[in-house]
Amino acid sequence: MNILTPRPNPIVAALYTLRDLDVDVAVLHGPSGCGFRAARLLEEDGMKVVTTSMSEEDLIFGASDKLIEVLKEVDELFSPKMIGVVGSCVSMIIGENVKKAIIDSGLKDKAFFVEIHGCMGANTRGAIETLKSAMDFGLIDQHEFQRQEKMLLLATEVESNKGMAKSKYTRPSRGDELRIVAEYIINCLKENKKIAVILNAKKETAYLFADIPLAINLASKKFGGQVINVGNLSTEVGLTRIKRYANDIRNNFEKNNITIDHISGGVDEYPVAGKDAIEYLKDKEYDLIVAVGIPQAVPKIGIESIAVTNGPREVEPLRDAGYKYVTVEIASHSTVMGTRNIVLSELGEAIRKAAGIQ
Amino acid sequence: MKQIAIYGKGGIGKSSISSNLSVNLASEGHEVLLIGCDPKSDSTINLFGGKRIETVLDLYKKGITEPDKLIFEGYNGVKCVEVGGPAAGVGCAGRGILVALKTLTKDYYLQKDFDVIIYDVPGDVVCGGFAGPAREGYADEIYIVTSGEYLSIYAANNIAKGLFNLNVKMGGIIGNMRGIPNEVEKINKYAQEIDSQLINVVERDLKIHESEIEGKTVLEKYPNDPLNLRFKEIGKSIIENNSSKVPRPTTDEKIREILGGLL
Repeated sequence: MNILTPRPNPIVAALYTLRDLDVDVAVLHGPSGCGFRAARLLEEDGMKVVTTSMSEEDLIFGASDKLIEVLKEVDELFSPKMIGVVGSCVSMIIGENVKKAIIDSGLKDKAFFVEIHGCMGANTRGAIETLKSAMDFGLIDQHEFQRQEKMLLLATEVESNKGMAKSKYTRPSRGDELRIVAEYIINCLKENKKIAVILNAKKETAYLFADIPLAINLASKKFGGQVINVGNLSTEVGLTRIKRYANDIRNNFEKNNITIDHISGGVDEYPVAGKDAIEYLKDKEYDLIVAVGIPQAVPKIGIESIAVTNGPREVEPLRDAGYKYVTVEIASHSTVMGTRNIVLSELGEAIRKAAGIQ
Repeated sequence: MKQIAIYGKGGIGKSSISSNLSVNLASEGHEVLLIGCDPKSDSTINLFGGKRIETVLDLYKKGITEPDKLIFEGYNGVKCVEVGGPAAGVGCAGRGILVALKTLTKDYYLQKDFDVIIYDVPGDVVCGGFAGPAREGYADEIYIVTSGEYLSIYAANNIAKGLFNLNVKMGGIIGNMRGIPNEVEKINKYAQEIDSQLINVVERDLKIHESEIEGKTVLEKYPNDPLNLRFKEIGKSIIENNSSKVPRPTTDEKIREILGGLL
């Protein structure tokens, strides 16, 4: 099936993965506008992103000399320990010899190449190719590569079966009104109901989605009811940076006297952690599930459920799956860059407002 | 104004035919523009005593894009352009052709009152850029140069497939003989098979080789040689040709059948 809905691309996924690997500078070998929006966000997260600004002339004559020059400039300007060079549609179509340019720049000991362009399929391919290059460069071992590759392939499967790649065209939606959903949750607590909150977040977005269990727990302290907290917040799994996200959030919960009842996996294990969460909950009694982050990766069971996603195009498939309410955290990527603390979410704020605990 | 593009297998003699055709058309009083589209920039070399002219893309890099500065006058008053392109193994020559053609601008040709414009295009139609002279509405019709050898006709058929896909008219085939048995018949039968025509043939002649060694066309080195008459005939046929049509490419098996039946 040819899917008409625009989806995240592999080049941007490669950039994000370089950030996960704590690469200091990403050099995008392509036109200046390629990956522009992601580049700006990633700079806020501490990784420099530069471009070789390929022009029409470079497209015709090649731009290896330009890349060598940019690599040398980057080394001089930022003194990086590690540089990742990412391909683009343009540079890869004309067959740029990036590996040779890296050698010719004299930076082969600190720079490695991710051979990727926009036409290589799902965005996860960009992440996989980056991890493979990182493994070849000696940054991660084969076991870690294989674990992450498995997760990424499962993530693609989730999107194809339950997400925005499920249908030929998925219209974007802002979801249900936050006030109504927040009041519904508050009323459940007031009626002394039990809510299972499943944080199934993807990497750094966990900083934002963790605000929803935080707000529900704070509301529960005021109004009663009970909360079962499940989260993919293992501090044992993944890259150093990824484990740090989980650690920061857990510290934050601890400060707020919130107990996590079950750890369903690491923050890069969202494609399987949802299943683990449901497995944990199977012999528990509760009245409502609130699944936040990547709810499409949480198996939908016959309990009344609310989904909180970050993708306007995920709303429709989640509604189709039978969620009572679906809300969207529209600014999830832009608000979490560079943070080490839980950041305010839209639904979390609505819950606080409805509960009068601002 | 008649605009034609010459395609054919690499090394089959497209540039030799284009340059000799150009100077002979000019000697008949036609205003001719020869546009070499090969990144090697050697289509017009025999009109300048073996010297290469500055290419459109080299000048483009220097910021020079006025059409008057991109065109050079070669032997016998033929106006010449070389598109140019990247060094072997880097960049994208196809994109170079498209950018160069855009830089030249079609309107300019009309203002200059050329009678014939010849695009000498490299090799097979390997990518969208190489199809540019045909696809972008520059050439009115395409001529394919081929010998009677299998690989040459196979390449011609690939080009015919490209023209069919692009819905571009083909003027006919120009034979460049290699001296194999029944060569004219082979080419002629193939031309009919794809619903086209054999325009004429150029016999294998050492004088072309000798002229090119000196960086000349046959007309310049051997002005009275009958070979020049053949190029004039080809030129006349092209100018008078009004039966161009989109070719109907055939199969590999059919090509083998045609060639095998005329051994």
